[in-house]
Amino acid sequence: MSDGLAEIWRTGLRNRGFVIGGIITVSFVLLAAIALIWTPYPVEEIVVTRRFQGISSAHWLGTDQFGRDLVSLLMAGAVNSVAVAIVAVGLGVGIGVPLGAIAAARQGWLDEILMRANDFAFAFPALLSAVMITALAGPGAINSIIAIGIFNIPVFARLTRGAALVVWKREFIMAARVAGKGPLRISIEHILPNISSVLIVQVTIQFALAILAEAGLSYLGLGTQPPQPSWGKMLNEAQTLMFLAPQLAIFPGVAIALTVLGLNLFGDGLRDVLDPRLRRER
Amino acid sequence: MTLLSIENLCVELEGPNGVCRLLDQVNLSLSKGQCLGLVGESGCGKSMTAMAIIGLLPQGMRAHGKILLNGEDLLKADEERLCQLRGRKVAMVFQEPMTALNPVVPIGRQVAEGLRLHLGLTRHEAETRASQTLARVGLPVERFALSLFPHQLSGGQRQRVVIAMALACGPEILVADEPTTALDVTVQAQILDLLADIIDEFGMGLVLITHDLGVVAETTDTMAVMYAGRLVEDGPTVEVFERMAHPYTRGLFAAMPSHSSEGSTTRSPLTTIPGRVPDALSRPAGCPFVTRCGFATDLCSRELPLMKTLGHRHNAACFNIAHVEEGS
Amino acid sequence: MTLFLVKRLIMLAATLLVAAIVVFSVLEILPGDPALVMLGVSAQPDTLAALRAEMGLDQPAWTRFFQWIGGLMTGELGRSYTYDVPVSELIGERVVVSLPLAVMALTLSTVIAIPLGVIAASRHNKTLDIALTGAAQFGIAIPNFWFAILLILLFSVTLQWVPAGGFAGWDAGFWPATQSLLLPAFALALPQAAILTRVTRSSVLEVLQEDFVRTARAKGLSRNAALWRHAVRNALIPVITILGLQFSFLLAGTIIIENVFYLPGLGRLLFQAIAQRDLIVVKDLVVLLAGSVVLVNFIVDLGYAVLDPRLRSGGGHV
Repeated sequence: MSDGLAEIWRTGLRNRGFVIGGIITVSFVLLAAIALIWTPYPVEEIVVTRRFQGISSAHWLGTDQFGRDLVSLLMAGAVNSVAVAIVAVGLGVGIGVPLGAIAAARQGWLDEILMRANDFAFAFPALLSAVMITALAGPGAINSIIAIGIFNIPVFARLTRGAALVVWKREFIMAARVAGKGPLRISIEHILPNISSVLIVQVTIQFALAILAEAGLSYLGLGTQPPQPSWGKMLNEAQTLMFLAPQLAIFPGVAIALTVLGLNLFGDGLRDVLDPRLRRER
Repeated sequence: MTLLSIENLCVELEGPNGVCRLLDQVNLSLSKGQCLGLVGESGCGKSMTAMAIIGLLPQGMRAHGKILLNGEDLLKADEERLCQLRGRKVAMVFQEPMTALNPVVPIGRQVAEGLRLHLGLTRHEAETRASQTLARVGLPVERFALSLFPHQLSGGQRQRVVIAMALACGPEILVADEPTTALDVTVQAQILDLLADIIDEFGMGLVLITHDLGVVAETTDTMAVMYAGRLVEDGPTVEVFERMAHPYTRGLFAAMPSHSSEGSTTRSPLTTIPGRVPDALSRPAGCPFVTRCGFATDLCSRELPLMKTLGHRHNAACFNIAHVEEGS
Repeated sequence: MTLFLVKRLIMLAATLLVAAIVVFSVLEILPGDPALVMLGVSAQPDTLAALRAEMGLDQPAWTRFFQWIGGLMTGELGRSYTYDVPVSELIGERVVVSLPLAVMALTLSTVIAIPLGVIAASRHNKTLDIALTGAAQFGIAIPNFWFAILLILLFSVTLQWVPAGGFAGWDAGFWPATQSLLLPAFALALPQAAILTRVTRSSVLEVLQEDFVRTARAKGLSRNAALWRHAVRNALIPVITILGLQFSFLLAGTIIIENVFYLPGLGRLLFQAIAQRDLIVVKDLVVLLAGSVVLVNFIVDLGYAVLDPRLRSGGGHV
C-alpha cells in the first residue's frame, strides 16, 4: 500500500493540474485553518474612520465600508466556506454512499426505488431545494448546509451504485461470497476500498460545487448570516457600493473562483493520476 | 500491368524511447484484376501496410519508401491529392462492419456520399448510383431501402454496405482488411465470393489482408507472408503453397485446420507456433523469427536474412531454406 | 417510437405528481400550521383565522391537495397573500422576463460552446486546444453572479453602455427589452458554456476514435469534413444529455441572476415570496420550476430520438 501511495505521489508530481490544483487547495485550507486562531485584524472590528481604504502595507487588500480589513474578512470567509462544504459534502457521502452500496448489494425493488428517488432529486436543483427549506425554516448557515447536502446525496448514491455494481461482478467478490461472507461485510471489506478513488475524485468536485452553491445562497441572503463573514455575502454588499469602491466586488470573487479552480484542477489531476492504477489492477 | 507497387516501405513511430520501426522494407506489387493476399499473425504489420496505402496512418507515424499507384508516389502526395484519391482510386473495406458504418446516417447516404464528393453527382443521381451499387453487392433496393440505418441490418448485410461504399466510385484498387473475420462462417464465404466476382467484373486490384491461409489459397493470385513488420516470403500463391520455404509460413500452414479432412473422422492434430511475435521495441538483431524457429542457427540470431529468389517470382528470407525443405 | 414516447410520457406525469406531493407536504403539512408560518408568531388571532379560512386549512390535507392539483391543471393557482392578485397573473407577467432570459442564455451557451468544443477536439493537444480547455476551467470556476457583477462593472459602471439593472419592459420595444436581458443572459451562459465546451470536446475526441470516422476518411472526406459530417452528430448525443441537466442549473441561475440585475422575473418573484413568507406563491412557483425541468428533460429525450435512429425504430434486422 505504501508503495502504491508512493507511486501515486510520483505520477502526481508529473501532472501539472494536480500540482497547481493541489497547491491552491492546500493553501486555501491552510488559510482557513490559520484564520481559526489568527487574522491580521479582528474580523468584527468596525472602525468607520478607516473605511474604503485602498491597498496599503497595513491593509493588503484595503478595507470595506465599515473599515474592516479585507484580508481578515476573506480569511474568515474561507473558514465559512470550508466548514459549509465539509459538512454538506460529508452529509452527501455519509448518506449517499451507504444508500448506493445497499442498492448495489441488494438490487431488486430497493435498488429501483432508490434510483427513481435519485432521478427525481435531480429535478430539484440545489438552489430550489435550498429556497424551499429557507422558506420554511428561515435563512441561515445550517439550513443552507442541509440544502446543499441534500443535493449531494443522490450524486454520491448514484456514483457509488454504478461503481459498486462493476466491482460486484469481479472474481474476488465471487470468492468472498463462496467463502460465506455476507453482503454487508463484502461491501465494507471489498467494495468500498475498490471504489474509493472514484469517490475521492467526486468529493473534490462536489466540494467545489458546494463552495459555489454556498456563495450563491449567501449572496441571496439565504445562507450564512451576518456578522459571520462569507464570500457570497461580501459580494452582495459590494454590489450596492460598486460605484464607490469597485475593488470590494473583485477580491471575494477572485477568492471563490481561485478556490473552485484549484479544487477542480486537483480533482481532474487526481482522476488522471488514479486512473492508470485502476486500469492496471483490472 | 502493374497498378500498385510498394518499394522499400518503412513506417516509423517516434516514441519517448526512441524511434520504433513498425514496417521494415516492405516490397509488394499488384496488377489489374489480380488479388494479392497479405498474411500473418495480428501485429505483424498487415493493417499498417493497408493504412499506409490509403494514407491514413495514425498521427505520429512516418512512412518512407515508395507507394506507387499508376506511377504516382502516394507518399509524396499532399493531403488534398490524397483526399481526391481515397475512395476514388483506392478504396478500403474494414474488418468490423458493426462499427465501420456511421450509426446515425442512412446507408443510402453513406454510399452516395463518395459519389457526390468525387464525381460531383447531384443528390438524386448519387442515390440512383448508390442503389445500383447496393443491388450489385446483393442488397436490392426493393428489400433494402436507402433510408435504412446500419443497426437495422445484420453483420453480413452491413459488410455488403461497406463494400458498396468502397465500390461506389469504381476504384482501381480495393484494400480489404480482414473483411470476413467478424462474420459468421457461412457469410464469410459469400462475402469472399462477392469480392472475387467484383474484381473480375470491374478489373480492379484487390489487396486481401487475412490471417487465414485457407482464404488466401482460395482467393488470391499472389501472396505475401509478413512477420514482425517484415516480409518473410512472397510469390505466386500456387508456388508458395507448393514449396513453402520459410519456417514461419510452414508454421502458419500447420496451424491451419485442414480443409481436406473436414467431415472425416480422422483429423491430424493442429500444431501451434510456440512463443509470440516480438514487439516492435524488442526485436532481435538477427532474424525476427529466431526465437520461435526450430531451424535457428547462430547465424540467424546475428544477421538479418534478406529475400532470396527461389524460383519464378518466389522469394523467402531465410538462411536455412535447404534444411527447412529437407525437414518436411 | 410510440412505445418510447408513451413510456416517457408516463414517467413525465409520475415525476410531476411526485414533485407536487413533495412540495405540498414540505410546505403545507410539515409546518403544521402554514398560516402561522406566513404571518409569524406575532399575528393577530383574527387575521390568522381569516387566512386559515382563505387557505381552506379546516379541510383535511388530501382534499386541499387535490383542490390544489385541480387548480394547477386548470390554471387556477390561488391568490397571492402579499400581492393580493391571482398567482397565475403574477406568474404570467414574470414569465415573459424569465423565459426569454433562459432561452437566450441556453442559446448563447450552445452557440458558443459546441463549435468551441469541436474545434478544441480537432486541434487535440495543440495550442488552441490547451488555451480553450484552460479557459473552460476558469469559466467553470467563476460563479455566475460574480461574473454578472464584473459585467456590470465593465459595461455599466465603466463604459456606461447598458443600465446596471432593471428591465425596460416589452412595452418599451423589442430592442430596449432585449438589451436589458443581454448582460444577464451572458452571465448565465458563461459557466454553462464552459461545462458544455468540455463535454463537447471530450465527446468529439471519443467519437473521432470510432471506426466510422476512419471509414469516412477512406471515402475521401477531408479531416474537417469527416469531423463535421460524421463525428459531430454522434458526439452530440451525450452533449444533449448535459444540456438537459444544465437546464435545472440554469433555472437555479436565474434565481440569482435576476436578483443581481433586479429583473422582475420568476426567480426574483420566488425570492421575494420567500422573504415575505408567501407560501401560496412559493408552492406554485416551485412546482412550476420543477415541472419545467422535468419537461425539458422530456424534450431532451425526444432530441435523442432525432439524433439517434437506434432509439427511433424498434431495431431488429430486415
